[in-house]
Amino acid sequence: MDWLSTTEQSFVLLFSGDAELWSIIAVSLKVSLVAMLLATPPAVALGYTLATSSFRGRSLVIWLNQGLLAAPTVVIGLLLYLLLSRHGIFGSLHLLFTRDAMVLGQIAIATPVLVAFTLSAVQGSDPRVRETAISLGATPARTAWTMLSEVRFGVMAAVFTAFGRVVSEIGCSLMIGGNIAGLTRNIPTAIALQTSRGEFAEGIALGFVLLSVALAVNLMLTFFQGHGGLR
Amino acid sequence: MRQPLLQVERILKQFGARTVLDVESIALEGGCSYALTGDNGAGKTTFLRVIAGLEPAQEARGVYQGRPIDFRSCPDGFRREVIYVHQHPYLFHRSVRDNIAYGLEVRGISRKERMLLVNDALNWARLGHLLDSPAQRLSAGEKQRVALARARVLRPRLFLLDEPTANLDAEARMQTLELVRDLCDADGTAVIACHDPEVLALPGIRRLHLADGRITLYDGSADATDALRARSGHRSSERGKGVLLDQILWRPVAND
Repeated sequence: MDWLSTTEQSFVLLFSGDAELWSIIAVSLKVSLVAMLLATPPAVALGYTLATSSFRGRSLVIWLNQGLLAAPTVVIGLLLYLLLSRHGIFGSLHLLFTRDAMVLGQIAIATPVLVAFTLSAVQGSDPRVRETAISLGATPARTAWTMLSEVRFGVMAAVFTAFGRVVSEIGCSLMIGGNIAGLTRNIPTAIALQTSRGEFAEGIALGFVLLSVALAVNLMLTFFQGHGGLR
Repeated sequence: MRQPLLQVERILKQFGARTVLDVESIALEGGCSYALTGDNGAGKTTFLRVIAGLEPAQEARGVYQGRPIDFRSCPDGFRREVIYVHQHPYLFHRSVRDNIAYGLEVRGISRKERMLLVNDALNWARLGHLLDSPAQRLSAGEKQRVALARARVLRPRLFLLDEPTANLDAEARMQTLELVRDLCDADGTAVIACHDPEVLALPGIRRLHLADGRITLYDGSADATDALRARSGHRSSERGKGVLLDQILWRPVAND
C-alpha cells in the first residue's frame, strides 16, 4: 500500500464533495448532536441533584453511574439490542437498526459521563454559592441554575467530553445501528468497514474528519476553560 | 417593650455529643441592632446560619412577627426578609451590577426599577465607579461593600452580618464600618457577629454574648458608654473610636 497516494486520494474524496462520504459524516454528527441535546438536560439535573441532595439510594445511584462510566460501548449496544430486538421488551417499537436506536445508545453512553462530571463540578464548587443564592431569596430551581452557571466550565467539560465519547464510539452503533449505508452508517462504523475491505482512502478521509471533530471539541473546551480560569 | 421582630424560642445545635448552641428565649426587637460577641469557636456564625436556614440543627424554633416558625424549613416569607452576609462574601462570576441585581431579579422586580435600585445601592456603598467591573476582581473590602449593598437593596427586615469588618485593612474596615453603622441607623434589625470594638460602640447597639452555647442579652446603654468616655476623655462625636470591648458598660437584660 502506498501511503502517500492513499492519503492523497482520501483528501480528493473529502474535498471533491463525495456524496456517500459526506452522508456518513452527516449521519455521525446528526446522531451525536441529537443524543447530546436529549441527554444533557436530564443528566446535568441528575448530577446536580446527586451533588446537593441526600436521599435513600443516593450512594447506589452514584456507584452505578461510576460503573457505567467504564462500561464497554459494545456491552451497552448488546443490552439495547436485546431490548429493541423483535422479541425484546421494546421490540414492538421497531427501533432496531434505525438512527433513533443509535441516538438511544449514545444517550446511554453520554449520560454517565455527563452525570459524573456535573456531580464532580457541583461538589467542588464553593458552598457559599448555594448559600448566597438561598439567602438572596432564590427558589430551589433558581439556586440550581445559579450554581450550574458558576460551575459552567465544569459542565461544559462534561458536555464536550461526552460528545467526544459518543461521536467516536463504534461498538454500540454497530450493534444497534447495523451499519446500513445511507441510513445508520456513521464515521466509526464506516472506517471499520472500509478498512476491512482494504479501501483505505475513504477510511483515512473519515478518520481525518473524526480527528478534526475531536480536536475542535478539545480546542473549544481549552478556549472556554482558559477564559473561565482567568482571575 | 416593643413587640419583638423575632423571638428565638429554642435553638439546639449539637455536633455529636458536643453541644454548640443551646439557646432559649432571645427577643430581637425591630429597628434595633445587636452585636453578637463570643470567643472564637463559640458558635456565633452557627447561630446566624441556623436563623438564616443555612445550617441544620436539632431544634430551631422561633416566632417571627407573631407567627411560629421553624428556621430549618425556612419558609419563603421569612427567607425573603432575612439576609445573611458571609464573613468572606461570595460574589457571583458576573459584574458588580448583576450581583446587586440578583436578589431583585429573583423577586421579579422589573428591569427598569432594578437599574434604579442598583444604582442607588452602589452610590450608597460608594462603588458607583465599579458598576460594570467583574465582581471576582474586587478587593476584599470592595467585595464586602458590594455584599452589603446587595443585601441592603432588598430592604430585608433582618440583617445577619458575620464579622463584616474582620480581615480588612484599616481603610476598608472604616469604609465597611460606615455602611454597617448606616444599616444600624435605618429601620431594619441587624445582628452582627463581631470582635470589633468599633461595632460594639455603635450608637444604641445591644450586645448578645455567646458563651458555653448560651446567649445573654446585654444593654450597652449610650449613657453608660458616654459616661465611660467622659471619664476617659472621649467626646460623644468620637463614639467608638479607641474604645476597647471590655471598657463598654454592658448590663445583663432579662430574656423574657
